[in-house]
Amino acid sequence: MITQTDVERIARLACIELDDEDLQEFTVQFNSILEYFEELEDIEAELIGQEEHNVLRADEVTPSLSQQEALSNAPRVDSGYFKGPRIL
Amino acid sequence: MSHREHIEETLDAIDRSDLNAFITVNYDGARQQAAEADTGELDGRLAGISVGIKDAISTKGLRTTCASQMLEHYVPPYDAFVIRRLHEEGAVLIGKTNMDEFSMGASTETSFFGPCKNPWDLNCVPGGSSGGSAASVAAQEADLALGSDTGGSIRCPASFCGVVGLKPTYGRVSRSGLVSYGNSMEQIGPIARTVKACAVLFEIIAGYDPADSTSLDTPVPRCASSLADDIAGLKIGVPIDFFGEGVDPAVENATRDAIDVLEDLGARATETSMSSLKYALSAYYVQAMSEASSNLARYCGIIYGHRVQRDHDWHRTFSENRASGFGKEVKRRVLLGTYALSAGYYDKYYLKALKARTLISADFQKAFKQYDALIAPTMPFVAFKIGEKIEDPLSLYKVDINTVPVNLANVPSLSVPCGRKGRLPIGMQIIGDKLKEALLFNIAWQFERNTEFNKYAK
Repeated sequence: MITQTDVERIARLACIELDDEDLQEFTVQFNSILEYFEELEDIEAELIGQEEHNVLRADEVTPSLSQQEALSNAPRVDSGYFKGPRIL
Repeated sequence: MSHREHIEETLDAIDRSDLNAFITVNYDGARQQAAEADTGELDGRLAGISVGIKDAISTKGLRTTCASQMLEHYVPPYDAFVIRRLHEEGAVLIGKTNMDEFSMGASTETSFFGPCKNPWDLNCVPGGSSGGSAASVAAQEADLALGSDTGGSIRCPASFCGVVGLKPTYGRVSRSGLVSYGNSMEQIGPIARTVKACAVLFEIIAGYDPADSTSLDTPVPRCASSLADDIAGLKIGVPIDFFGEGVDPAVENATRDAIDVLEDLGARATETSMSSLKYALSAYYVQAMSEASSNLARYCGIIYGHRVQRDHDWHRTFSENRASGFGKEVKRRVLLGTYALSAGYYDKYYLKALKARTLISADFQKAFKQYDALIAPTMPFVAFKIGEKIEDPLSLYKVDINTVPVNLANVPSLSVPCGRKGRLPIGMQIIGDKLKEALLFNIAWQFERNTEFNKYAK
């Protein structure tokens, strides 16, 4: 059973502000979805590593985006930098 | 007809259409590419051919929204690997197709730009999440399309719209430039009106890309040249687990009739069972949501994306940007994924989902020791009405029951039309072992040429 307080805590962790209406709706929906997921509890298998590989590339300098391209979608830019919210 | 005339006709069809299959139409770019194909400046297997691109795939200089307000104004500064391959073959990028927001859905109803409709019945969904890609191909608003499939997002709309769509082997097609949702399961894949066209597009987009660390460095087979191979003696498994409760009898009958057709061509079909599949839906959703919560953490509205007018402290700024930029289904999945990965719940949900995935993969590997291919209904039913399931998320998740096992097992699956219920198409999926795409196209082509379910065949 997951409560509205739990959903508020998760929303804070996920950085998504929820209004009261969403909180109530999500709490009800999450309970039915999580109840469905409980069937996974029966599983007692060993975890076998995925055979898919991760590869490392050679450490070589290759062309990348220009500063102008990298900044082209930023909502706010200042003197060639991304402009974020105040930290302090 | 010149390429330019063909593309003008296609653009006209899009302008007149009620489907809402496109989020952005590439009028100028498409006209220029068609003109260059006419002069011979652009050359290749796709010269003058229109391709619709799911709006989750990055196109340089062409807006890529993922059907989200978060990326409403995002213009990628680079092309996805698959887009570079299309350009090399002279393709005309006709536009960016409608989809479920961030690929999260099976109906293309969660798009910020409004739902896409099914060309066979405008009151019905086209399936999803690559709904615009399948609908545009079915309605001849594009010759071909690219979609992406994390838990069925190519095969579901291909089935509902009566076209051919492939979910390739994991790692076969580069994900570089695809907006990530469930990165351990998703693949870009081709959608077309005929098996042959689908095979050609697959050959073009498949192949090794060092920019995707999960890309497979193995040669791409020539699928288009083995289409006509004899299928006599082929062993086909029919897993009963895909014909469970909730499968419409019309869909079951169409699939069984299709298997009969293949038997008449010399294939041998046997029923089998894969008991781990009962965990597939939960395992898929836990894993996809967990990956989504991590993959979508990058959308905070600073480097790109939606940003509210007033800045507060960073936590509140990010939370407001994400609250107003994401739609409801995206929020649900990110929150549930955050929960599944949080302290105290990781073992209960995420780890169990990984274990289920191990069991499911093992069941597929066991099946492919016995059978060359498996055949099952792609979807349990035909396209449903717009609005019918959207208010109840769990009911909408359950429509993926037959498609998600394939993604968990990293194997390829090809959905082809195999019947109709009224006007609405029915699709079956042909599932193969890893890297067996050529065999899937071969079986599908033999089926297509011996039946008339594919209205557009030829």
